[in-house]
Amino acid sequence: MWIADKYIDHVKEQTAAHPGESWEKMLLGFRLNKLRTKVLPKKGISKGYQKLEAMMMSFVADSLGRPDSYVWGNIFAPCELIGCFELNTLSIECLSCYFSGYHLEDFFIDYAQNTGIAPTLCSYHKIFVGAIDSGAVPVPEYAVTTSLSCDGNLNTFRYLEKKKGVPFTFLDVPYRDDAASVDYLAEQLKEFAAELERRFGRPFDEEKLRSAIRIENETRKELMHFFKLQSERYYPGELISHLYMMMGMHLLIGTQEFLDLIRFMIKDIQNYPKFDGKKILWIHLLPFYQETLQSYFNTNRKYQIIASDIIIDSMEEMDGTKPFHALAKKIIRNLYNGSYSHKAEMVGQLADTLKPDAVIQFCHWGCKQSSGGSILLKEKLQELDIPMLILDGDGIDRRNSHDGQIKTRLEAFLEMLESGEKEETAEEKQKKIC
Amino acid sequence: MLGYICKYAPVEVFASMGVQMERIEPDVTNFNQAEIRMHPNICSFAKGVLEEVMSGDYEGVILTTCCDSIRRLYDVLTEEFPEKFIYMLDTPRITKDAGITLYEQRMKEMTRAYEEFSGRVFEEEKFCEYLKGKEEEQQLSVKNGAVNIGIIGARANESIQTILKENGANVAFDLTCTGLSRKILVDESDVMEGYTRGLLSQFPCMRMEQAANRDELIRRYVGSVDGIIYHTVQFCDNYAYEYAWLKDWLERPMLLLETDYTRQSSGQIRTRIEAFLESLAPEKGRAEKRRKGDGAMYVMGIDSGSTSTNAVIMDQDRKIRAFSVVRTGAKAGVSADRVLQEVLEKAGLVREDISWIVSTGYGRVSIEFADENVTEISCHGKGAHYFNPKIRTILDIGGQDSKAIRLSDTGEVKDFVMNDKCAAGTGRFLEMIARTLEVSLDELGAIALTSKEKIEITSMCSVFAESEVISLIANNKEKADIADGVCHAIANKAFGLLRRVGMEPEFMMTGGVAKNPGVVRAVEEKIGSKLYICEEPEIVGAAGAALYALEKYGA
Repeated sequence: MWIADKYIDHVKEQTAAHPGESWEKMLLGFRLNKLRTKVLPKKGISKGYQKLEAMMMSFVADSLGRPDSYVWGNIFAPCELIGCFELNTLSIECLSCYFSGYHLEDFFIDYAQNTGIAPTLCSYHKIFVGAIDSGAVPVPEYAVTTSLSCDGNLNTFRYLEKKKGVPFTFLDVPYRDDAASVDYLAEQLKEFAAELERRFGRPFDEEKLRSAIRIENETRKELMHFFKLQSERYYPGELISHLYMMMGMHLLIGTQEFLDLIRFMIKDIQNYPKFDGKKILWIHLLPFYQETLQSYFNTNRKYQIIASDIIIDSMEEMDGTKPFHALAKKIIRNLYNGSYSHKAEMVGQLADTLKPDAVIQFCHWGCKQSSGGSILLKEKLQELDIPMLILDGDGIDRRNSHDGQIKTRLEAFLEMLESGEKEETAEEKQKKIC
Repeated sequence: MLGYICKYAPVEVFASMGVQMERIEPDVTNFNQAEIRMHPNICSFAKGVLEEVMSGDYEGVILTTCCDSIRRLYDVLTEEFPEKFIYMLDTPRITKDAGITLYEQRMKEMTRAYEEFSGRVFEEEKFCEYLKGKEEEQQLSVKNGAVNIGIIGARANESIQTILKENGANVAFDLTCTGLSRKILVDESDVMEGYTRGLLSQFPCMRMEQAANRDELIRRYVGSVDGIIYHTVQFCDNYAYEYAWLKDWLERPMLLLETDYTRQSSGQIRTRIEAFLESLAPEKGRAEKRRKGDGAMYVMGIDSGSTSTNAVIMDQDRKIRAFSVVRTGAKAGVSADRVLQEVLEKAGLVREDISWIVSTGYGRVSIEFADENVTEISCHGKGAHYFNPKIRTILDIGGQDSKAIRLSDTGEVKDFVMNDKCAAGTGRFLEMIARTLEVSLDELGAIALTSKEKIEITSMCSVFAESEVISLIANNKEKADIADGVCHAIANKAFGLLRRVGMEPEFMMTGGVAKNPGVVRAVEEKIGSKLYICEEPEIVGAAGAALYALEKYGA
């Protein structure tokens, strides 16, 4: 057993036995891992993804180490605005992933369920509620959540406000995409900025927000460029690399550091060989721990995830002259908001640009908005002649993912893709002969 | 006719245009269509609405953006019924002025869209007159002399109220989205704005930002009732947060009741509600005494479970005269007749010697010769206290369900929880696994004790767990180790239930699975305490039922 594994087991046991007494050890583990990703980066994956992992480890370890440096958010919280107050946004979904690094997900989930939280709730939320409610993880001064995409947001934050006294701002994201909605949300964002000014005693400088939006626009353009390159070249990464990328695009977007990384990746990828395997566009969460999916998508020359809708869930250029409206519009037009046809349209656009061979949607346990529309998306992709596979499981709780089922479905789907290609080649040959 | 589902839907706007408005209350037997069009893991109510609209005669449906499942329901409905008026009304979660302004604007857009669709015309004056004719209904009605129950939580169909009324309980208030009477504000200077303000100032549901105020409102209401039913819908997670929060401070007995909007679950719902009412009002009327010629008096308790039917005959001194256990066949009534004959024979008595018979268990209503029926939860409580008065927490694992019951020092049920529609953690699950391992049920427990390697069964669903076991067999794992892993999986489930009722010692285990030494050991390890198990753990419920029969006589 590796020393790291022993340490993980030790922290897990300690936390389960005495939640609240092992936080310093958990924190130390995050710091050591940060160091590890810098000094001894994971072998076999590309430099870009190594740097990305190191950046995300630092981001979380550094923030958690300074409790006054961050607020809790959900993954759609406006980190650009929060960043104007020199504060980091730690999303509860990502923190749950980090806690699962200590294999504590089952302990926290059971803890939450035993207090009465619904077993059918999203596992990310259950882990977070269990981690905080059990006292294993300390709380910050403030939090913010949006209503976007997930019913759990408002309820989880409200529950923790009541139980642990963490006040929060709630941003109500309207369903419809029109000017009235944008005004409504922009006003709330302004009030939120004023609230942060009051709470943290730092003045708000609109120019900072404008600058963040300029960087953000640039980042999004560069990322699309990178995705195009990733559909042409073999750029070894892991399932978790895409989650890190999603984290970056939601929690570090608008920072120069993250833009520089994407630019580095664009340069770096050009040193890699041509990719001639199957290109997969991934929809929704990636169960980074899942053995079968790891064996097919971690550094595999035959199958490469070229992009995911959770990484690039808003695609339009933002208007930097009206920063609050621009932020509001970005959130409202997010592909997870509104009707599923809006999402299908945006996924269609992505497919049009990146030309994937297939789409895989992972229906995460407890995520109603994703599961409920999966069949509609499949129909839409059928119209575009793109095969799609729906997998059921859990993004983080392995007890809800069944490897046998996932393996059979995935392998059958990949066989189907291969045989489809053979048929096509045969048809083309036939045509040439004719 | 237009269907609607949410209390924030502006029903009166349409009604004033002469449209018949129907609140959709799904009453379905299955989700066959919904699970093809949507996904199984969607809120049961949303699936029910889809089934209902597909079979009903609606001109259209007014939905609100109340939750993720309803958002997806809208997508499916518009796809299925492009010719109908399926409208998604974007309802703000903020009830301050900004929310009111936005909602008013949204409702006006909706009205225009409907005018265009139907050719009808909305007239503000008519609307105002219509509103004036509406009267606000009473929200709270406490009845003296009855058990008063309040209902809180997610939307609940009428079956809960019906069962309560059938059992003589009074529904003092219903704060679920469907139970509330509407709040109408008529402001003649700006009719629409006043109306919108009224709609958004209703008792807030969990999706609203203001839901924090619910605590105060609930606190005010609950003082007047004897108990609370907290209702949740399967795959709707929002209300469980509130239950988890309320149970820490609400000083009233509270039953958590999950339903799934199908008719199949009605038996389970009835058992839970009745057991809850029994725990609130333990005293019942007394019956006329009937004695055997020699002056002795006998009563019988009969427990009709899914796996076994058990009977106990008791005399007036609370002594067990005879008991019998038979396997339950396809018909509960037939097995009951068999056990009746058997136990009478053992006791050397005839039917006429028995003064009173109380039935319990899932099949309790199908036993025609019983004089009365009581739920198995109350009976297990009474039975456990009879066998060992120190018991405060019971774990009962039966064939098709498992439950944890907390008792007072006098043996009254203080709280209970049951597993839901899921075989994991039940006797059935063990049977399934024993079959897969090709051992008998008795052997399964015994071989688990000889296990050497620790194997963890991680799947929480019994079907998945079964295939996990098959994979373990394929990997040449030892049967004993797999059996032990399965016993621990059951113990983990049981631990969850025990935690939820509070882990007050001493502990007792009842039901057929208590005979399985592997499970007993695993549960003991998990709770860190010994389990008391009586000689025949399957007759605890029947003994409790017999005690109920004796109480009828004041014995």
